[in-house]
Amino acid sequence: MTDLSRRDLLKLARDGFLYLSSALAIGGLLRFLDYDPNPKPKTEFDLGAASDFPLNSRTLLSDVPAVLLHTESGFSALSLTCTHLGCTVEEKTDGFTCPCHGSRFDKDGSVMHGPAVQHLASLRIEITNDDRLILHID
Amino acid sequence: MRPSFFHHLHPPTIPAVQSRWRHTLGAGGTAILLMLILGVTGILEMFYYVPNPQEAALSVQTITYHVPFGGFVRNLHYWSAQLLLIVSAIHLLRVVFTASYGRPRRFNYLLGLGVFVLAILLDFTGYILRWDEGICYPLVTGTNLLKTIPLIGDFLFRIAVGGGEACNTALLRFYTWHIFGLTIFVLILGVWHAFRVRRDGGIAVPPPQLRTDNERISRNELVRREVLQIFVVSIVLILMSIFLPAPIAAAMTGKPIVTEEARAPWFFLWVQQMLKWGDPFLFGVLIPFAVLTLTALIPYILPEPADADIGSWFPKSNRLAQIIIIAIALIVIVLTLMMVLT
Repeated sequence: MTDLSRRDLLKLARDGFLYLSSALAIGGLLRFLDYDPNPKPKTEFDLGAASDFPLNSRTLLSDVPAVLLHTESGFSALSLTCTHLGCTVEEKTDGFTCPCHGSRFDKDGSVMHGPAVQHLASLRIEITNDDRLILHID
Repeated sequence: MRPSFFHHLHPPTIPAVQSRWRHTLGAGGTAILLMLILGVTGILEMFYYVPNPQEAALSVQTITYHVPFGGFVRNLHYWSAQLLLIVSAIHLLRVVFTASYGRPRRFNYLLGLGVFVLAILLDFTGYILRWDEGICYPLVTGTNLLKTIPLIGDFLFRIAVGGGEACNTALLRFYTWHIFGLTIFVLILGVWHAFRVRRDGGIAVPPPQLRTDNERISRNELVRREVLQIFVVSIVLILMSIFLPAPIAAAMTGKPIVTEEARAPWFFLWVQQMLKWGDPFLFGVLIPFAVLTLTALIPYILPEPADADIGSWFPKSNRLAQIIIIAIALIVIVLTLMMVLT
């Protein structure tokens, strides 16, 4: 490296400067585009008074989307977002079917037929002190 | 006369074989015409389109039903976009079937393939801009596929969509990608591609000493033939745009309730069919990417076509390339038909 001429040194410095500034600019552009300006998607849904959902009822919560069940063992909720690629599954007589790629789930959300691999998620239901239901998506 | 880009593309004379319709099918030139129409009609639509989730579908209805000739302009934009994909595919097949991708055209083959990929992305983003009840699931699945890519998936998703839930938030990003982000690249690559066609010696034909037909045509004759092709394509487009309205549906309100099967736009049906088989990353990302890579590598890994074969249909010396591209085309068509017919 000792025989680096002045011309070569300047050329190296110029190229290094150009490559470095290009890399910085591209990195900056990617970070610029990487910002998420949206409010965080809702993870809590206030469903109202627990007494609105009588025993043995099934309630479709289309804005979650989920189905709320009230059985002998209490409240439970099943997510209706397909675990394959995120479409909303539809209720059929024997369970749920995804309109996008045809995954089928039984009434409890277990996979009956692919391409989905994971069962529909069970969602946490919280009962507040004043007997309201809060649905959590975590 | 000062040299211009027009004269670069139209030299004083060219070999007659280079401009024979049965040799080129006029596909590349038709693609340029369609892109110009897309640019003009797209700019016209921008005068009325509102890239806001609450108003987008309504503004599409305003363009279609209220603006004088608005429906016609939108139909022209829609049909030009669909035809562009078909014409680009035909152009690609023609280039492979006539052994026209060999040195020195290998790099231009990649440029053309890049334009094709960008045209597909432009068609998809444009389809999403309708923001009607049908686009939500294709948008959700398409962008969730990005998330399945290891390591950089979430990052790509945020770049494309901006985060959040696609059906609530993606519109502004998709609008900007459609009108600026992708368009600027398709413009650069498209002009470069056209420039390289002449730079590489014009439409691929054998070197002069191997040519049987040494007739040449003048610039005026070339332009006359191009104008004829423009005339025919324009008439077809105008008739389609008068009699076949582009799809339009009610505005998206909240989560869509679809009673029947949700369908991807027609050029992605083959991917949707594969996604029914399982793992999203494998069938939705890896395999389409592998198909693209294989297509891109044809000029680089297969033997060069013989000089005498350049420009003749289905020559012997690049049989393997023809078989590969036919196989890819057949698989895509069969998968699409499986999706349509089931």
